[in-house]
Amino acid sequence: MVRVTHVLEAHLIGDGDWIAASDICQLCRIDLEAMLELAALGLVASREAGPGEWQVPATALPRLRVVGRLMHDLGVNVSGAALAVELLEAQRQLESRIRHLERLAGDY
Amino acid sequence: MEFRDYYKVLGVERGAAADAIKTAYRRLARKYHPDVSKEADAEARFKEVQEAYEVLKDPQKRAAYDELGSEWTSGQQFRPPPDWGSGFESAGGAPGGRRGRSAGRGGGASEQDFSEFFSSLFGGGSPFAGAERMHAGGRDHHARIDIELEEAFRGTTRTFELRHPEVKPDGTVEMRTRTVRVSIPAGVATGQLIRVAGQGEPGAGEGAAGDLYLETHILPHRLYQLDNRDVTLTFPVAPWEAALGAAVTVPTLGGEVEMHVPAGSQSGQKLRLRGRGLPGSPPGDEYVQLKVVLPAANSPEARAVYEDMRAKLNFDPRAAQR
Repeated sequence: MVRVTHVLEAHLIGDGDWIAASDICQLCRIDLEAMLELAALGLVASREAGPGEWQVPATALPRLRVVGRLMHDLGVNVSGAALAVELLEAQRQLESRIRHLERLAGDY
Repeated sequence: MEFRDYYKVLGVERGAAADAIKTAYRRLARKYHPDVSKEADAEARFKEVQEAYEVLKDPQKRAAYDELGSEWTSGQQFRPPPDWGSGFESAGGAPGGRRGRSAGRGGGASEQDFSEFFSSLFGGGSPFAGAERMHAGGRDHHARIDIELEEAFRGTTRTFELRHPEVKPDGTVEMRTRTVRVSIPAGVATGQLIRVAGQGEPGAGEGAAGDLYLETHILPHRLYQLDNRDVTLTFPVAPWEAALGAAVTVPTLGGEVEMHVPAGSQSGQKLRLRGRGLPGSPPGDEYVQLKVVLPAANSPEARAVYEDMRAKLNFDPRAAQR
C-alpha cells in the first residue's frame, strides 16, 4: 500500500498559454538558439514578453520534443529536425486520411 | 539479470573502431527511432541500441565492459564480479560508489530507461521511481503520463515517487523520496501540459524550486477514435434501422444516451452528439459513424427475405458508377 505524503494541485496549460522559451528548452533538451532558429523557420510561434524573454505556445511542446529527440538521438541539425517533423506530421495526416477513406470504402 | 551483448546489439565486431560503432548506431537509431519508425517493437529496440551505444561510445565504459570478457552471450544469467569496475572512472556498479552519469540527466541517453544490466554496471537510472516513467530536465522535471480516455473525460489522479537530492547538515547529499498524488483535471488532451508548481528540482539556497511538467498521452481506446476533443464511434446498425429510422442507445464517455437514426441513413454517415466528446471550452463532440451490418443469409427465412427484396426492390447499388 502506497502512503501518499503530499496531494498536489495541477494546472492544466491550455491553448492560449505561453511558456518561457527557457523552460520549454529544458523540457525538450534544445538550446535557446535552436529554439529561435525553429521560430525563424516557422516551426513554432514565438513572442518576446520582455527584453530577451522569449515565449512559445504551450501547444508547441509535442513537436518541440520530437525536434529535441531527433537532434539528440539521430544527430540531425535544427533545419533537418524541423524538416523531419513537418514531413512526419504530413505523413501522419495522410495516413489518418487513408485509414478514414479505407473505413468508408470498407462499408460499401 | 540477463547479460547484454552490446556489440551484437549494434551488429559490430568486438574490435570495431569508434567510427564503425557510431555509424552502426546512426543506422539502427534511424531504423528504430520511435518518432520515425514503423517497426512494431521500435521503442524497445531503440532503447537497446541507445543503451549499447551509451557504453560503446565511451572509451572508459567500453573498456570496463570489455573487462567482463567475451565468453558471455546475450540472455545468459549475469552478476557483476565483486571487484568489477575498479580502476575505471566511469564504472559505477562496483563497490565504491556509483560514479557514472545519471541516465536521467542530459545527454543523448536521458530519454530512456536503462536495463538492470546497465544499471548494475554503470549506475544511473531515473531520478524518479514509481508507477510512471519520468525524466529530469534540469530545473524543471518532466514526465509523460499515459491515461485512458475515460480518465481524460472524468479527470484522474496519479501517484508518483519523487526523488530529490538533499544536502544534509554535514554537507553530504542524500536522496529523499516523497510520494505525491497529483490530480489531473478532466478534459486533458494528448500532448497537453500539466504544470505542478514547485515540484521540480529544489533550488539552490533560497532559490525557488522548479516545476513538474506532466505531458499527457491518451491511450488508444477500443471503441472511440480521438481527434483533439472529438471522439468518433463506429456504430453498427441493422439495415432496417438505417432504412426506416430507429431510436437506438449509444455509448458516450459520459454514459449511454438515446439517439435517433434518421430514416434513409447510409453506412458511413456520421451523426453528431454535440458536447459529448472531451470536456473543454468548447467541449468536443461525439461523432457516431453508422455501419450497416447485414444479417447473414444462413437460414431459409433469411434467404427468403433477401430473395423478396431482390424481387420487389428496384435497387442498383452501383447506379452512381455508371
